[in-house]
Order: sequence, then structure tokens, then C-alpha cells
Amino acid sequence: MSLVATARRTGLAPALPAIVLLVAFFVVPVAILLARSVTEPEPGLQNYAALLGSPTYARVFFNTFFVSGVVTLTTALIAFPVAWALALMPAFWARLLFGLILLSMWTNLLARTYAWMVLLQQTGLVNRTLMALGIIDEPLVLVNNLVGVTVGMVYIMLPFMILPLYGVIRKIDPAILQAAALCGASRTQALFRVLLPLAAPGLASGGLMVFVMSLGYFVTPALLGGTSYMMLAELIVQQVQSLVNWGLGGAAAFILLVVTLGLYALQLRFAGGPPMVR
Amino acid sequence: MLLDFAKLGAWRWALGFIAGLTGLFLLVPIVFIAALSFGSSRWLIFPPPDWTLKWYGELFADPRWLAAMATSAKIAVVVTVLSVVLGLLASFALVRGRFRGRDALRSLFLAPMVLPLVILAVALYAVFLRVGLSGTLAGFVIAHLVVALPFSIIAISTALETVDPAIEDAAVVCGAAPWEARWRVTIPAIGHGLLSAAVFSFLISWDEVVLAIFMATPTLQTLPVKVWTTLRTDLTPVIAAASTLLVLVTLALMLGAALLRRRGGRA
Repeated sequence: MSLVATARRTGLAPALPAIVLLVAFFVVPVAILLARSVTEPEPGLQNYAALLGSPTYARVFFNTFFVSGVVTLTTALIAFPVAWALALMPAFWARLLFGLILLSMWTNLLARTYAWMVLLQQTGLVNRTLMALGIIDEPLVLVNNLVGVTVGMVYIMLPFMILPLYGVIRKIDPAILQAAALCGASRTQALFRVLLPLAAPGLASGGLMVFVMSLGYFVTPALLGGTSYMMLAELIVQQVQSLVNWGLGGAAAFILLVVTLGLYALQLRFAGGPPMVR
Repeated sequence: MLLDFAKLGAWRWALGFIAGLTGLFLLVPIVFIAALSFGSSRWLIFPPPDWTLKWYGELFADPRWLAAMATSAKIAVVVTVLSVVLGLLASFALVRGRFRGRDALRSLFLAPMVLPLVILAVALYAVFLRVGLSGTLAGFVIAHLVVALPFSIIAISTALETVDPAIEDAAVVCGAAPWEARWRVTIPAIGHGLLSAAVFSFLISWDEVVLAIFMATPTLQTLPVKVWTTLRTDLTPVIAAASTLLVLVTLALMLGAALLRRRGGRA
């Protein structure tokens, strides 16, 4: 048996290359960045004071949470009926819809954002369709504002809400709803007092995931949100890249990190396990 | 009642309608880009007045776009190889290893998944500037490897957990050297996990843009970075062509992997 034991004994050693990589290029760089927030331009908390004290930055924080909140709510409103439908649909249609969800998830992020930039522009398909239908007379401004960033982000986040919700709804025993009906509940009552509460864990975990991912998003808000809806990630990039203000950028990164980790900890309690995809 | 399709009554149509509309919402932008890339309108009129390959012609005639494509492919291939090798080694330690702090190690390996990309991008940028990795291929590879590795480790360790180590022992008892048992028994058994790890790693690198924006220089950039910089100034249909190309590579890889997996399952 000693021979067998040698074959099976595995220690920490094989993981060393990965550990070295992550320590050198993940742990240390992030730690340095956070350290710079309290050391540059001089030791102290002045970067945090500047961030939390100025109305300009307060606006960025507000935007970040507001846009993420709007995106999360919109995503939830669409995802719930879709996940519900997925759990009931004939297999063929369900597979087709799953295929579409996966296709959009795996389509390049920039490509998807570009598509919405073109679709939503002044002379874009959305405006021209609405005008042809006689719903509007003048083209609406749909990009570089809340509408643009919400549409673009909801498009990206939908799969992350539909999939966990579907998992939860599929596991609900239909007999429970039958029981509700037998006890005299109307459809609406059964929806709000039985189905929704039972699906709540899925809504909470999917919602938190979407909210947290939205908080740190950079590409889509930068392209579809415009400068008036600047979010935290854009502020970090701007501080570091254009203004070379590493202290303030690091402080903003630290705040984003703390909020993100805090919400993920909350999510772990609801669902267990971090999200599979960024 | 609410979970029985036949008894939903009128609600059935409402649900079906919302699901259908969402399906359309998910599909339209992707079809739209592909259509635009073949449309003749410089101003992205849709439906296009005529069809053309002009934008692909411009794409392939421009050495900067070509260089970006080559850089993207090069980086993605190197990242894939390194991510699978490091992921395999790390998975053996995580699944088979007996040492203290294994859970802490697992958390370290998965941590890059929860960190907002922009923080990692800025942090790496600062370090790379100092050690001279900024604007180098190695810099791109390292940055992408950090975010690809967690996916590789999840795919491989999930596969490894389903393989009974006793099979490896049996091979050793039958006279195989320990390394031989591992190479010829365990590795083939987790082939599907390795394949998923490779596909995920390639696609993560191929599609990644936030880290790449910070690693790139005007002379060395990936395809998504080139799309990003062009996009900031102009919505030209050439971007539609480049986007279609990006998506086609992804689709081809996903379908190829699905086919391989199906064949492996039958064998």
C-alpha cells in the first residue's frame, strides 16, 4: 500500500505557480493601489475626505447606485415572467429561448454595446420605428443618458437574473399552488402571496448579483451613459488615466471594493457560491 | 395552477408574449450588427439600401486592424495554454491535496472573479508601468491569465472531483509508474473539464477589453481595444464588421466545443 500512497499524495506544491501568479499580479497590485489612497500625495485620509465631501463626487456615487438600482429593478421586472415562462414552456421553445440567452451572453460585450449605440441613435432603428408608428413626432434622445445606459446594461444583465430565477422557480412544487387554488386563492393572490414569496430567494440573489456587477461596470456606462451619468468605474479610470491622481483613484477603488465585497457576502448568505461570470 | 401551463388561462398568452418579446430583444442587436456589416450604408441606415463586402475589405486592408487581430489571437492562445496548465496543477492541489488552508487557497483562486475588473486593471497598470511590462505581450498575457485562471480552476476541479483517485491507485498496483497513472488514467478522464477550461480561457482573453485598454499602446493593441478606440470617435460600419468577426470566432469555438463534448460522450 505504500506504493499507492505515494501515487496519491499531493501537497500544496502543484498549486505554487498559480499562487505565485495571483500573489504577484493580483494581491500585491491591488494592495499597492489601496495603499496609495492613504499615502498620496501625502499620508492621511484627505483623498477620502475629498471624495466624500465634494458635490461633484457625490453626484458620481449617486449615479452609480441610482443607475445600478434602475438596471436591477428593470432586469428583475423582465426576468421574473421570462423565468416563469421558461419553467412552463414546451421543451422546444424553452430550448430556443435558452439558446438565445446563451448567444447574447457570449456575444462580445463591445459588440453588444455598439449595437445599442447604433440602434438608439437619433436616426437609429428605434427612433425611426417609433416615428413610423406615429408614436412620436421628433426623434427622442436615447443615448448619453439614463435611457441609453439602462437599455445597454439590462441587455447585458438579463441572463444573470433569468438563470438563477429559473433555477428557483423550477424547483417550486406545483402542488403548493394547487393548494392555494383549492383554498380559494385567485390567480393574482396566488401570484403575490405564494409564487413570488417562494421565488424571493432567486430574486434576491439574482438581484444582488446584477446590482453588484452594475456598480463596477465600465464599458457600457462609458459608451451609452455619457458624461452626465458618470459612474464610479469611470471616475477611477479618469483619475488614474487622465489626471494621474493615483491617490483619489485608489480611494474610489477602495470604496467600490468594500461595497462590492460587502454585497457579495450578503449574496453568499442568500444563494451560496459566487457568480460564475463577471 | 400558476405552474401548470394548461391551467394558466389567459395568463399563458401574457407570459408567452413577454418571453417572446425578450427573446427578440436578445436576438435583434446581434442580427442587426451582422446585417449592418454587410450593408452598403455608411450612415448605418437599416434596412440597408444594398449589400456589400466593402467594410470587410476595409478591415482586411488596414494593417492596424490586421495587427490587432493577430495580437488578440496570439495572446488568447498563450493565455489558454498557461491557464489550462496552471489550472490543472492548482486543481490537483485543491481536490487531492491534504494540507491546511485549502479553503483559504480556494478563495484566493476565485477572488479575481468578484473583484471589479476596473480595479484590477488600474492596479496592474500601476505595477506594469514600474516594472516595464506596460505595452508588452507579456503584460497582456499576465492580465488575462489572472482573470481566466479562476474559470479554468472551476472547470477542471469540478471534473476532477468526479474521478475516483482509487482508479489511479489501481493503475499503480497494475504496474504503472505514479506519473504514468496520472497521465494516462486521470488526465483522459477529465478531458471534458480541460476542454471547457481551454474554451473559457480563450474566450475570456479574446473578448476582454477593460484590462486590455490599460495594457495597450498605439502600436500594440488587441481587437477589442481597436474597436473601443474607434468607437469613441466614429460609429463606422467597419466596427460592425470587426464585431461580427469577434462574435463568429466565439460562436465557432462554442459550437466546436459542444460537438467535441458530444463525440466524447458517445465514445
